[in-house]
Amino acid sequence: MDFSWLFPPAINDMAKQVDSLFWFIASIAVFIFVLVEMLLFIFLVRYRRKRPDKQGIALHGNTKMEIIWTLIPALILVAIGVFGSQMTYAIQTPPKDVYTINVTGYKWRWDFDYPEGFKTTNKLVIPEDKSVLFKITSGDIVHSFWIPSMRLKQDAVPGRQTQFWTGPSEKGEYPIVCAEYCGTMHSMMLAKLNVVSTEEFDKFVQSGGKAGGSAADGAGGEGQTLAEQKGCLSCHATDQNKLVGPGWGGMFGKDVKLSDGSTVKYDEKYIIESIIDPAAKTPEGYSPMPPQQVTEEEAKAIAEYIKTLK
Amino acid sequence: MGTVATADVKKPSFVRDWLLTVDHKKIGIMYGVVCLLFFFLGGAAALVIRTELLTPGMPDVVPQADMFNQMFTMHGSIMIFLFMIPMLTAAFGNYLVPIMIGAHDMAFPRMNNLAFWLFVLGGFVFLSSLYFGMPDIGWTAYPPYSIESAGLGLDIWVLGVHILGLSSILGAINIIVTVFNLRAPGMTFNRLPLYVWSSLITAFIQLFGTPALAGAITTLLFDRHFGTHFYDASAGGDPMLYQHLFWFYSHPAVYIMVLPAMGIVSEIIPVFARKPIFGYHAIAYSSIAIGFLGFLVWAHHMFVAGMPLATGIPFMVTSMIIAVPSAIKIFNWLATLWRGSNWFTTPMLFVTVGFIGMFTIGGLGGIFLGTVPVDIHMHDTYFVVAHFHYVLFGGSMMAVLGGLFYWLPKMTGRMYSEKLGKTVFWMYFVGTNLTFFPMHYIGMMGMPRRVFQYDPANGMQIANQIASFGSYLVGAAAIMMVVTIIVSLRSGAKAPANPWGAQTLEWTVSSPPPEHNFIEMPYVTAPPYEFGEAEEQYTPKKSFGA
Repeated sequence: MDFSWLFPPAINDMAKQVDSLFWFIASIAVFIFVLVEMLLFIFLVRYRRKRPDKQGIALHGNTKMEIIWTLIPALILVAIGVFGSQMTYAIQTPPKDVYTINVTGYKWRWDFDYPEGFKTTNKLVIPEDKSVLFKITSGDIVHSFWIPSMRLKQDAVPGRQTQFWTGPSEKGEYPIVCAEYCGTMHSMMLAKLNVVSTEEFDKFVQSGGKAGGSAADGAGGEGQTLAEQKGCLSCHATDQNKLVGPGWGGMFGKDVKLSDGSTVKYDEKYIIESIIDPAAKTPEGYSPMPPQQVTEEEAKAIAEYIKTLK
Repeated sequence: MGTVATADVKKPSFVRDWLLTVDHKKIGIMYGVVCLLFFFLGGAAALVIRTELLTPGMPDVVPQADMFNQMFTMHGSIMIFLFMIPMLTAAFGNYLVPIMIGAHDMAFPRMNNLAFWLFVLGGFVFLSSLYFGMPDIGWTAYPPYSIESAGLGLDIWVLGVHILGLSSILGAINIIVTVFNLRAPGMTFNRLPLYVWSSLITAFIQLFGTPALAGAITTLLFDRHFGTHFYDASAGGDPMLYQHLFWFYSHPAVYIMVLPAMGIVSEIIPVFARKPIFGYHAIAYSSIAIGFLGFLVWAHHMFVAGMPLATGIPFMVTSMIIAVPSAIKIFNWLATLWRGSNWFTTPMLFVTVGFIGMFTIGGLGGIFLGTVPVDIHMHDTYFVVAHFHYVLFGGSMMAVLGGLFYWLPKMTGRMYSEKLGKTVFWMYFVGTNLTFFPMHYIGMMGMPRRVFQYDPANGMQIANQIASFGSYLVGAAAIMMVVTIIVSLRSGAKAPANPWGAQTLEWTVSSPPPEHNFIEMPYVTAPPYEFGEAEEQYTPKKSFGA
């Protein structure tokens, strides 16, 4: 039976195995659930009180029955435990020949360091035919790196390295989620996983991580991609909503009141300056943005993008 | 003559009669009232959360993201520390334990009063964080985030938890000493009512567990203000140490919130089934097993927290084993209903259709989470939220309400309206299932806990909306409950000493009971659930002939 509507698509073998363990447990659980609820319902209705002074039967217990209903659940749970343990070891042990990507969580973005020496943010591209090992840590607080389609999750803990690995997986675009509560913008700490063909992956590596993303079209397209990848959109809305930082929509060309009381024009120069040196001119009502790893050129592209936002 | 003398005694003032009382029954009732007030506060926070989640996008009900985070922090903290634990252990425990074992009061009545006021103080300090800036760290307060969390909110929160912990330890000591030393003649351990058994085990869990929590949050405070580095990885500390300490208390705390509930269920079922409880010893001793095993499962909250996965296996095993004593109780209750004479009063509905029906769902959900590979996917998602709400809201809360209606005539001397009571039950039952069942699905599809934003694809928004509407129904049920109690207080029929025909000692005295419970020291000659007719008299033919 196809139960894919209950789970995100399973894109690798491990996910399929976890699903089958899930269904194994689920079938037992449903059986026990139906049994308990049926007995409850039957006993309540069949033995409901018919006369006010009616007594039940004076039955204090039955040791044989009690031993049976202690042992049966115990045995079922042992069986689940055995399957569970076997799979746990499989998930823990990566194969020898494996492609390693370092994952680092920050408030509120994911950085991916590739062995070829380049880095992407919020964009994880992996080839469809290779085993990949993720070595996960955190740059600030505890996050949790979760790829629902792989049924895999590990916390990103500062000072520790956790890991999980995946075998070959199916092509497509899938969400990556932060599952450990990490403060204000926890809900928006999202990244994209792109599983691509080997050729596409080679191109991605050769371009130093620039190709292979879902580049937006039109004016400010490059800036939009950057804003997504650098994690800007975790804190800035593209409309006028106030998140951690001010919303970008309709800001361009307006005057901004700063925390020191002065005003400044919200133009390209101000945007670039604010990205490179966030503490210099903070808008009123906000605290300075943490330092960002964005070059002046990239900042320019982002400013182009902000210009297009209404 | 005594009657002449009492006529001259002035009625004591409200302060002396209630606030300064050392009567365990009055302290129990005060606990209950304050706990219910907190329940409404925690529930209000829950409704804000559910309203926010009606739509998938940006925070639109609460003004900012931070406020959403503060809401679920307050919801969790209030419900656990200010409602469920004190309600089950202190409100019910205080009222019932002494009178059920034939004692005149708690072993340390003044300490009892002190514990109550510490609880009120702790709750007050907790709520003062509304003024000082609410903490936004979740009820678990994991470092390093909790260390850098700005403002006084978290410090106030920690102070509140400390005071509440102290109150909780004092209460636990009181119950342990009372049960060991003040039982009436003939009240052997094998004749203890099952609620007293579960209270005793719970008190031991509180006594041994709470210090671990105190240690965890104290070191947190030190890291924040005194320059220590317990949880600072860059200086050799380890954030995971906190998680170990925290869950070493907080998993057993789940049983603090479940065992007394199971005790209440075990009290109510035999009375309304008019049968002895099936397997008294199994039910009593399985509580001991749960109390003991409860301390050996904490790391199942941390399967993906950074331990090597294989470290999780022993904890998977213990987590599986701890399901067995719970299963034993469920089957024993079912066997008690078999060939009973089941009387559908409101308390009976709450503990059978309510507790047994829904706790089963919660318990089975726990098997998925106890299995490491499945938990890797489910951990920190709404599946977990569904699971523990089925245990704590579908389970414990049902027992609380069942117990409330069961003992209300005893406490107030007034009967409640069965019609209203049953309405409350069905509203709760339907609302709770609507709210929490869809959350299983929401979690499996990929929605983490503690988020205000989710992917509207895959029917996620519909599922979230069903949950939200269910929560409104629960909110209405809570108001209905208060209405039912008020109606009962104002116009309920006078309650006889033993309206249900129960056999535990609290029903042998008037409703409400006199001060010091018993005019004459009771002498116990039989176990508490000697109901039923022998097999040969049971057949309908013979009873009709009689």
